[in-house]
Order: sequence, then C-alpha cells, then structure tokens
Amino acid sequence: MRVETKLFLYLFVFFVPVTLIYGFWSKWSEPIGVTALVLTALLFALSGFYLWMTGKKLPLRPEDNASGEIEDAEGNYGYFVASSWTPLWLAGSGAIMFAGLAVGWWLFIIGAFFGVVAVCLWVFESFHGEYSI
Amino acid sequence: MVAVGTIVWLSSELMFFAGLFAVYFQLRSVRGDLWATQTEKLNLPFASVNCLVLVISSVWCQLGVWKAERGQKARTGKLLDLKGWGMREWYVLTYLFGAFFIAGQVMEYAELVHENVTLSSDAYGSVFYMATGFHGLHVTGGLIAFLLIIARTFTTRRYTHANATGAVVTSYYWHFVDVVWIALFATIYILR
Repeated sequence: MRVETKLFLYLFVFFVPVTLIYGFWSKWSEPIGVTALVLTALLFALSGFYLWMTGKKLPLRPEDNASGEIEDAEGNYGYFVASSWTPLWLAGSGAIMFAGLAVGWWLFIIGAFFGVVAVCLWVFESFHGEYSI
Repeated sequence: MVAVGTIVWLSSELMFFAGLFAVYFQLRSVRGDLWATQTEKLNLPFASVNCLVLVISSVWCQLGVWKAERGQKARTGKLLDLKGWGMREWYVLTYLFGAFFIAGQVMEYAELVHENVTLSSDAYGSVFYMATGFHGLHVTGGLIAFLLIIARTFTTRRYTHANATGAVVTSYYWHFVDVVWIALFATIYILR
C-alpha cells in the first residue's frame, strides 16, 4: 500500500507549509482558513498514517507488483451478507426520525423506536444462531 | 474491509468537526467582547476531571482491543483478577467511564443554563452547545455501539475474527471521539 500511503502523506507535507504561508500572509488574523488548512493537513496525515500502518501488517499485494497478473488478486475479500433488507429498515427509520425533526418530536420518537429495532436486527443479523460468522 | 470503511468514514467525521471549529474561531474573532464575559462562567476544574475520565476510558478501550485481537472475549478468572479480564470486561469499564463523562456534561450544561448561557442566548452559547453537544451525541452513539458490541459476545458461540473486527472498529471510533474532545477542550476551556 506504499503508493496509497505516499499519495496522502505527500499532500500532508504539502499542506503544512501552505498553512504556514497562509498564516503569515494573513498575519494570523483570519482564523477560519488556518483552522481549515490545519485540519485538512491532519486529515491527510490520518489517512496516510492508517494506510501506512495497514500496509505494514499486510504482505505485498498483487497491485503492488509491477508484473502482477489479474488472477493474482482473486480470493476472499471479506464477508458480505448474501441478501439483507435490514439497511432498508434502518434507512426508513432514519427518514422518519429526520422528518420528525421538522414535523414534531412525537414522530421522531416513533422513528427512534423503529430505529432501535432496525439497528439491533442489522447488528445481530450475522452474529446469532447456527450460522453466525 | 470493515476497518478501511470505518477509517474513511472517520475522515469525513473529522471534516464535520472541522466545520464546527471554524464556526467557533470565526465567531470568536468577531465577537471578542462576548468571549470576555461568557468564558468566565466555564468551570475549568470540573471540565478537566471530565476530560481526564474520557481520556482514561480510551486506555481501557485499547486494553479491551488487545484482548479482542487475541480472541479472549470474557474473563478467565475472578471479577477482581484484572489480568484475566477479557474484551467484555474492559469494554464495560470503558462504557462506565463514557457514561460518567456524559453525566458530567449534562451537569455542566445545567450549571451554565442557570448562568444564562443557552443555545439561543448569544453567539457564544450557540457555538458552545453546538460544538460540545455534537461531540456529546457522538459519545452517546459510541456508548450504544459498545452495548451492541458487548451484546454480540453473548449471541455468538465462538469469538470469531468478524467479532473482533467489530470491537476494533468501535475502538477506532472511540479514540477518534476522544481526540476530538481533547481538541475541543483545548479550544473552549484552555485557549478560550
């Protein structure tokens, strides 16, 4: 994941001097831009650091190999539920809750009730019973 | 996959809080007079203790993560035998510390409302409750996530890799919320 790490860390290195230039140019009198630039730099640092940490844990991937073949990348990519309606229930509950913010708290509470049920259904969908992962 | 998705989402969360920080600094630069009077009402010793509790909860969370990564979901010894604690016990402790923090926040809000700092009192009140309130909602969301992750250890027979991943990404979120609070605390209570 060296390429991905570099992609983010180069931008971090770029935004640190940009922040300083911006700060000195505006005589540190304009706080919004400075805050935004500092946090932009930190955002790239966070993503870059994470990719670097992950890259250290993983062996070299097929896409890191310049002479790699497509079929090198086959295999298990993670666990995905074959079919699930629970995200739809949760989205519906969320829609009712947000409508409740505009309409009235009574509707929000009804939506929150459905939301609790939907979250539990989703969280435990693959984590209960005979075929839990 | 789950871990990468969580990090991407946390990056967007960072930008959400960046917006709140920008609002804070903008209003502070425009209405310095409000800041001079309203920040006097903040209770720094109380908030410092509360902040410390949240930071310590992150330590307990990480101890739980190390147990989860080794696949130990529950304690092996007696309740007071800390070395034998599993992910479940450490996460319950994290939950209690997080709940303490939220309770402290509620008390602080009550105190400030008595001193006429409310969401609609002035620009300072608005940005104070928006920033700390959104953070408080995130902590509350984290507490719910801890409950669900702890519950998962009871509904599955084996503590699988997928279970551990759920625990680990919850800890990512918790550490993130913790770091955001350190920044908010430094901005609101120390820098003023």
